[in-house]
Amino acid sequence: MGVTDFPAVHIACHECDLLVALPVLRPGQHAYCPRCNFLLTANRPDSQSKIFAYSIASLICLALANLFPFITLNARGMEQSVTLLGSVAILATEDHRLLAAVVFASIAVIPALLLCGLVYVSVAIRIGRELPGARTCLRWTIALAPWNMAEIFLIGILVSFIKIVSLADVELGLSFWAYALFTFGVVLVSLNFDRRELWDLLDAARAAGHSSHA
Amino acid sequence: MRPAPRGIRPMHEHTATAMGVQGCPVCTAVLPIGTPYCARCGTHGHTLERAGMTWNGSMQRTWAWLLTSVLLYLPANFLPIMYTRTWGNLRESTILGGVLTLWGHGSYPIAIVIFVASVLVPVGKIVILVWLCLSVQLRYKSARRYKTRLYRITEFVGRWSMVDVFVVGILVALIRLGNVMTILPGPAALAFAGMVFTTMLAAGSFDPRLLWVREA
Repeated sequence: MGVTDFPAVHIACHECDLLVALPVLRPGQHAYCPRCNFLLTANRPDSQSKIFAYSIASLICLALANLFPFITLNARGMEQSVTLLGSVAILATEDHRLLAAVVFASIAVIPALLLCGLVYVSVAIRIGRELPGARTCLRWTIALAPWNMAEIFLIGILVSFIKIVSLADVELGLSFWAYALFTFGVVLVSLNFDRRELWDLLDAARAAGHSSHA
Repeated sequence: MRPAPRGIRPMHEHTATAMGVQGCPVCTAVLPIGTPYCARCGTHGHTLERAGMTWNGSMQRTWAWLLTSVLLYLPANFLPIMYTRTWGNLRESTILGGVLTLWGHGSYPIAIVIFVASVLVPVGKIVILVWLCLSVQLRYKSARRYKTRLYRITEFVGRWSMVDVFVVGILVALIRLGNVMTILPGPAALAFAGMVFTTMLAAGSFDPRLLWVREA
């Protein structure tokens, strides 16, 4: 029995293992597992373009978030201003290296890798050619997705903001707003992310590449 | 949410396993059971074996991660999560202590956020996963849809517990006013982060399809 015996129209539910025949989904339709109600796949209009656009926009915002002060603190005439990278550096130099690494990885490195991976895969899909390593790239992107914690960090900032307000004057810097936009972009990307659709498009890109070479 | 289109139908109520195939967990390709390597996305090894449910290590791994997370949750609660140094006085605060202080100061929304993220979510997650593991092993077949939904929620909310670790990180990086006030991280911060990661790994190791196996 080969792959072709169950062609692309079938899908095995990730959560209850039911084998389901998928109809062609119209734009905006979502396919749920009839047994356990798991979202199998969805046809989200223009999801590929959205992923591409939001990923690039978020990466630009993340780069901007590193350029300006993140938070400025003013207490009894002492002013202290930290940048995003600077705050991680403070944690690292004061011998809290593991904490610094965990925080930095989950709020910046992993989301950035995720977005870069999606940009690369999107480029492969858009130019209709299989770029080297695009498949490995998408596989890693899917594996990294649960470890992205950008939006949680944003809530963390707001909570600490409220905690500090009683002690000192706090001012959110330009970088904070850039980071907030970055987070917003990451959420929009994850809302349009469908692994089945991305693999289908990558397969189509490979097929297009083969036919143009032949 | 839109309803499922009418065309969706189960294949004679058959599971993929019963049909001798498995879904690739990474790219959703349907492959014969025992395929060592997914031709579509290149996934291989344990990930695929797990998808074919030929690998029975799912329960052991989930139990192991759960036990680790419980062991990490104890120091995370009893040791201080941060120290506040003001004019030579060192004050310790624990997670629950912090929640109570916030509540005492009248910041109820923040107290609730921290309580939910640091206490309710981790404890609830561990309890739900233990219950799911037990119901697989004791072959409780009731309320499968409900249990699957609980599993989905558990997987989704797990990351949100990290809020408290981030708050400590931000406060430590920001409040460095020398003698006036300096905040230092406590050992509970790392223990707590470890607890969040191990519960995420536990949820990831648990295979919800085991809840649906007809004759185990």
